[in-house]
Amino acid sequence: MLEVQHISKSFFRKTALEDVSMSVREGEIFGLLGPNGAGKTTLIRVINRIIDADRGVVRINGDLMTQKQLSMVGYLPEERGLYKSMTVEDHALFLGQLRGLPRRDVKVQLEFWLEKFGIADWKKKRIEELSKGMAQKVQFICTVLHEPKMLILDEPLSGFDPVNVELIKQELVEMRAKGKMIILSTHNMKSVEEICDRVALIDHAKKILEGTVSEIRESRKTGEIAIKFRGSMIAFVNALWTNFELVDKEILADDRFIARVKTRGDSNFDDLLRAMMDQVRIEAVWEVLPSMQDIFIDLVNPKTEKTHA
Amino acid sequence: MRNSWLVAMRELKERLGSRSFVGMMIAGPVLILVLIYFLFVFGGEGQQKWNVLIADPTGIMDNKILVSADPDVTYSFANGYVEMNEFRDAKQFRDFDALVEINEKILSNKLSFVFYRENPSMRMQTKIRYQVERRIEEVMVAQFTDLSIRDFRKVKQPLNMAFRNVYDPMDEASDLRGWVGLFYGGLIFAFIFLFGMTILRSVTREKSNRIVEVLLATVHPNQLMIGKIVGIGIAAFIQFVVWMLFVAIGLMLMRSYVFPDLFDPSQVVAMGEHASDKFFAVKEYNQFVDLVYERVRFGTMTFYFVLFFIVGYLFYGALFAAIGATSGSESDGQQFVLPLIFLLCFALFAGYYSLQNPESGLAQLFHYLPFTSPVVVMVKLSLGYAPGHAYEIWMSLIVLILSASGVLVLAGRLYRNGILQFGHRLRFGMLLRWLKRM
Repeated sequence: MLEVQHISKSFFRKTALEDVSMSVREGEIFGLLGPNGAGKTTLIRVINRIIDADRGVVRINGDLMTQKQLSMVGYLPEERGLYKSMTVEDHALFLGQLRGLPRRDVKVQLEFWLEKFGIADWKKKRIEELSKGMAQKVQFICTVLHEPKMLILDEPLSGFDPVNVELIKQELVEMRAKGKMIILSTHNMKSVEEICDRVALIDHAKKILEGTVSEIRESRKTGEIAIKFRGSMIAFVNALWTNFELVDKEILADDRFIARVKTRGDSNFDDLLRAMMDQVRIEAVWEVLPSMQDIFIDLVNPKTEKTHA
Repeated sequence: MRNSWLVAMRELKERLGSRSFVGMMIAGPVLILVLIYFLFVFGGEGQQKWNVLIADPTGIMDNKILVSADPDVTYSFANGYVEMNEFRDAKQFRDFDALVEINEKILSNKLSFVFYRENPSMRMQTKIRYQVERRIEEVMVAQFTDLSIRDFRKVKQPLNMAFRNVYDPMDEASDLRGWVGLFYGGLIFAFIFLFGMTILRSVTREKSNRIVEVLLATVHPNQLMIGKIVGIGIAAFIQFVVWMLFVAIGLMLMRSYVFPDLFDPSQVVAMGEHASDKFFAVKEYNQFVDLVYERVRFGTMTFYFVLFFIVGYLFYGALFAAIGATSGSESDGQQFVLPLIFLLCFALFAGYYSLQNPESGLAQLFHYLPFTSPVVVMVKLSLGYAPGHAYEIWMSLIVLILSASGVLVLAGRLYRNGILQFGHRLRFGMLLRWLKRM
């Protein structure tokens, strides 16, 4: 388990992190969220020992994170680069050996990953010959080549086409199943909802939210109910009467609608179903949970910034 | 250590595979050999063909000057007076570079004026003086003596007083040898500059393409910096060894095939009294030939060259790496490298100063100053240390090693604090703050 305990970091007079704590368990994908400049990259660099924290400690499996333990970490930074004049193989050999893997093992691992991604014929290609997406794949392979126990991925999906996004997501899910700790820093909230188990939101150097994705969405719900039906919209609205309030509606084809309603007073989900049953043909009903995107925007919107300033 | 070595080997591999490195490996020694060739052929002076008019109204020289034509000077004769202004402005004299005035009094007052359009080189001046003088001698010998010209020249032969330093009777420490030392020192600094700039470019490139962040997640900044300096240093050393090998082979081939006769002193004797310009040229050659093939102690010089090259390179290389790491952009880096270039130029000046004033107090200071010592030691080494003072080389080396260690520590701090700063405008205050931060 990775434990980040009370980390603070300042650059001259600017506070980059203020008393940030969190933990990442084995077999977990942990989403690190926050607006640009919130302090995510600084936190990642502190975890990686690229920079030292002013206060606080980072532990991995109970031990303090040291230079030696960095070989357990695979790091893919957001602004990543490659040596353009090197071949894919040479690049992998260099980075793999730096992370403690013997030369022979790097070659075996590289073969495995190139085969897995269906790019075995790229091995001898120079990086400058590759497209941006191809280079991204090579970077991902170089990150996971040494089979790290912990992966820190900063925007790993950016620059990929949808097919490759799915491929990488699938890989991450497989790695989670193998018990690896994965920190995923991203602005892609859809991916967060899909693959992250827990998230932390950092804003203005402070952690302002932490929990599982479902817990957070549950905690931020507004009591809205969505109902998908076939029939007359007028009949539906009349049936709402004073116990419910229509918030939004979406018109589908063939007299089909999705309406979002809020309960009033003591009315509940069962009351809504009873009221509607005779008026329209209900196809589906569900409780509306806010998306991670909505929660993110809500928490870090300009009003919030003013409060912090 | 292992990480630094891996970084060093990557750098080395990249350098060895680059076209510019291979190009320099060939172009460098070729350039040196061409330089040496011209030094041998032209005696170190500018070569130019001159068209000389000899105004000889009384016909003293009888329109004759040389038995065989000189490839560098063509003489023509005017059998009337030619005034300086006329020579300067008249159309018919435009093609002449110089006018030699031989008037009727020359046999008594031995005075001749030479008017030129462009300043003649020392070599050309000597040549014209020598050739005209020899012809005048012939005329005078015929007019005033019964001697043959051969006997006259024996009589005329001046007493050759050979001044010898009691500590250096073989004149091993001549000024010319000092220039060899300066050349060696210059070579050290040329390599330091070339490969220092390579370090700078390599660091800024890693910064700008952001791979440095991937590396720093595994490698400590100091390991990265040391690895880079060592890797590029090994490349520089390989370059140097190849240069030396090529130059040595080239000099051997030159001796055997290009100038076989001119290196043989017996040729000079054989030419005897008829030796004219060729004899003159051979004398010029021999200074350098003797210097290059006989007097320079290449073994000793190369040994100390390697030592001072390695430590001097570490000293300056660390500074280049620090500048690369702290700069916000490549142009920033180039701007901050100017003071370093100034230091390198100053070191060359210090070498030249020490060559001219080897015993001065300032030369002594430059000998120990880490910025300048690699050049100055080379110069002093070639001039020769006084007996019992050879320890000064080692003292200077120790000072340089200690300074290089200090610079590596300070540069490491700058490197560590600056390597992840992007897009800023580097200011001096920033450097000071980063220096203070551990």
